[in-house]
Amino acid sequence: MNLKHLSLAIFLTLFLIAHLSLGQTCDLILRGKILHQENDDPIEAAYVWILETRTGAVSDQNGNFVVRDLCPGTYTVTVQFLGHREIRQTVNLTGNSTAQTFRMEEESLDLGGVEVHGHREAVQTTTAVSSLYGEAMLQSRGESLGESLKRVAGVTTFSTGNTISKPVIHGMHSNRIMILNNGIRLEGQQWGAEHAPEIDPFLADEITVIKGAETVRYGPEAMGGVILVNPPALPTSKKHLTEIHLLGASNSYMGNLSASHLGGSDKIKGLGYRVQGSVKRAGNVKSPDYYQANTGMAEYNFSGSLGYSSDKLGVEAYYSFFNTEIGILRDAHTGNLSDLEEIIENGRPFTNAEFTYEIDNPKQVVTHHLAKIKSHYHLNPDWKLNFQYGFQLNNRQEFDRRRGELNAKPSLDLELFTNTLDLFLDHNLKPNWSGAFGLNVIQQANSNIPGTGVTPLIPNYDMFNGGIYAMEKYLKGPLELEGGLRYDFRTVNAARYVGEDLQTAELDYQNFSAFVGGLYQLSPHFAFTSNLGTAWRPPNVNELFSQGLHHGAAAVEIGDPDLVSENSLKWVNGLEFESEKALVEITAYANQIKNYIYLNPTGETYVSLRGTFNVYEYLQADAFFYGFDLSGSYTFSTRFNGYLKGSIIRAKNTEQDNYFPFIPSDRMDWGISYAFGKSSNPESDKITLANVLVARQNREPDYDLAPAPPSYALFNLGYQKKLQLAKNQFNIGLQVNNVFNTEYKEYMNRFRYFTADMGRNILLKLNYQF
Amino acid sequence: MKNYKRLPIYLFAALAFGFASCESEDPVPENEGEVITDVTLNFQELGGGGNPVGSAFSAKASDPEGIEVGATPTIETVTLTKGKTYRMTITVTNSIEGEDITAEILAEGDEHQFFFLGSAFTNILTIAYDDPSGELIGLQNELTVSASPASNNGQLQVVLRHDLDKSYPGATNPNFEDFVKAGGETDLDITFPVVINN
Repeated sequence: MNLKHLSLAIFLTLFLIAHLSLGQTCDLILRGKILHQENDDPIEAAYVWILETRTGAVSDQNGNFVVRDLCPGTYTVTVQFLGHREIRQTVNLTGNSTAQTFRMEEESLDLGGVEVHGHREAVQTTTAVSSLYGEAMLQSRGESLGESLKRVAGVTTFSTGNTISKPVIHGMHSNRIMILNNGIRLEGQQWGAEHAPEIDPFLADEITVIKGAETVRYGPEAMGGVILVNPPALPTSKKHLTEIHLLGASNSYMGNLSASHLGGSDKIKGLGYRVQGSVKRAGNVKSPDYYQANTGMAEYNFSGSLGYSSDKLGVEAYYSFFNTEIGILRDAHTGNLSDLEEIIENGRPFTNAEFTYEIDNPKQVVTHHLAKIKSHYHLNPDWKLNFQYGFQLNNRQEFDRRRGELNAKPSLDLELFTNTLDLFLDHNLKPNWSGAFGLNVIQQANSNIPGTGVTPLIPNYDMFNGGIYAMEKYLKGPLELEGGLRYDFRTVNAARYVGEDLQTAELDYQNFSAFVGGLYQLSPHFAFTSNLGTAWRPPNVNELFSQGLHHGAAAVEIGDPDLVSENSLKWVNGLEFESEKALVEITAYANQIKNYIYLNPTGETYVSLRGTFNVYEYLQADAFFYGFDLSGSYTFSTRFNGYLKGSIIRAKNTEQDNYFPFIPSDRMDWGISYAFGKSSNPESDKITLANVLVARQNREPDYDLAPAPPSYALFNLGYQKKLQLAKNQFNIGLQVNNVFNTEYKEYMNRFRYFTADMGRNILLKLNYQF
Repeated sequence: MKNYKRLPIYLFAALAFGFASCESEDPVPENEGEVITDVTLNFQELGGGGNPVGSAFSAKASDPEGIEVGATPTIETVTLTKGKTYRMTITVTNSIEGEDITAEILAEGDEHQFFFLGSAFTNILTIAYDDPSGELIGLQNELTVSASPASNNGQLQVVLRHDLDKSYPGATNPNFEDFVKAGGETDLDITFPVVINN
């Protein structure tokens, strides 16, 4: 198998490089890593000096440094970085090269004008991590969270039309991945395929995707991966920054405005705040040949935080509010199976819609409040106590086309309260050990608000989850090793009426999860990571208790209260090569899941006065997922750049020897950019041509309403101009997506049964920072 | 610095409040407002000049549980006589809630329409909308049995569409087979067996 050959090749390469780096007399190497004591963030551009030899090195962006050509002996090494206490240490070099980690402590904040880093925690993991920030983040502005993350190799979307999209990491989505809003696990009604994450991407200046199983760190459900949506760190010194985004799109005439302001107090040292808000409005989406009826949306979001930090104590309060109203394609709401079959055969909506901003039924109205308070206290330079409490309230209303007064009432009206508590102690024991142990509590209450006139799809329930965990990392120069263990207990109490019968259920789940991982910096250019983690996910309430008609799919879905937890074992390996001109990242993974829960068509139909419906049931089977992600870029010259991203995934039901539905097909995105600004700053004007290639999903499940759509190719064009106006930054972006107005259907879009995807879209993006 | 000492108190107060406010509500039985459990076709023979003749009769389709997995609907047979003309009215009810849905359909006549399809309309029956309001809904129709029907039995499919474009070309025909093209969705789709007596 290819996988075996590749890993063999990787290991051979590793071995060779490791051998080459062994030195002889006066050819010894001192290498190492420089990190912030506070949060283990790497420090770039720290100065390492060896007094005796008068030689030195500067750390790179990963904090790594190398000093070569040293003879055996004892040396005095100094490490210096602005605003940090100088380190002076004796290092003994014998016959072998030595690796050393230096952790730098911040000096007091008295120095005027010193850049002080905030308290945003860096992700410390040996599993594959990718982030979206800076220019890529700027280009993604105006898109939903799911759409933005398509820029990360290995991440795709599971969408419902062009306005609802959920991120998919290595084939997993919904309750199998976790999204953290500023450190708090987002608890909405994520079980639904048409329930998009309740988060405003504008609140973040960086979105990080962890592609491994991170159950130990974050709790159950972080099985497929974790998405961290992080706002910028609060300023700790006098500083003010305002940022405005103004966007417009030709397709759906979308308008989007976001403004944020962050400031640091000049009176109280260490006090900072940030406020941010965004408004988005869009009308009917246009496929190349027609408008999609009732696909407008409106969104109003706000977030704010206030923080204080001193050398010992840090406190932060945060609140975010998300509010959206989303129209659902009128034609996707079918009455029965023959309606559904007719529209699938037609291949496009029957309704000939015009453009409008109006949002009619069927629609979703969702609000999400998230408040958190977070604090840390440095017990001593090595130990830090952390506390975080989060409160969330999610309201979801779904409206269908109904008769009479019922049309004004939601058919689904859910209210979900979630409390989360994290308490943990972390330590940095110089020079090699760091880790954390803690406890984590989630308490959740879900209620159906009466008066919908529909038997609720899911019951009312109370859930409690308690977990304790410990993890430790050993870090020595180019080598990092880590491991962790966690125990969780969960109890779910559910109750509902079906007709006049009260049904109740009390379910308990418990599980251990563990991981081991390592990172080895083979050379300044090569790094290799490997992470093996177990994860588990208890069955979700909809999987246990669904019973009823799922409109749109013309399906009756039946849950099974006897489902057991899913257990997975995921192995992720990453190889990263970085040189002046090239950057290549390869991630290979295999994920074995026991008792994978999936919705299976029974092949039976149910007949009612309304017509015929397909019957689906929740089943469990063993599954095996594996695949590769590749991402790379190459700088041909100061003006020419090229990039390539791709992902391949295979997922199989190993019990039935068939395929699961809605697994992303093979895809690739590549492009070139040409910078044509002044020679002093060529990047100020840049044009990018990108090509997205998506293969047909040939590994289809045994039953699907329609065959997988054909492969497609899209071309996108972008122009980016950066203007420096005095001290202010002004960015202008012009993007043309789907330049040739190609008609296509994406396999991962549930509305591919009803309509083609979005046609050409021209976007103007203005960004001003002052 | 003295503020810090009270911080834990605030934190735990907030915490206690949060946890206390979070128990799920007790479930309540939901009134199934939209379910249709009974559809009755009422027949009244019409004599010359459109006056009622003889006694009325009906055929009923019922599904007491509405849309739930379980029993399939029971559908009675429609028995008509060769060469006769009938006034066919339709009544729709929700027996779970004891609700007459016919009135709702009538009130929203601009959004609803019945279509009549199936083998019964190939040289056996002919149908015309006869709604008193003049709006083409299909709650009242005139049904004529051929004097020399092609067969003595057939299938009568009754479809109720909701939210359709009533001005879609062809939609004025009660036998319009491409009704899906007019948009909207199906509320009812029942096939009654029809037997023609001599």
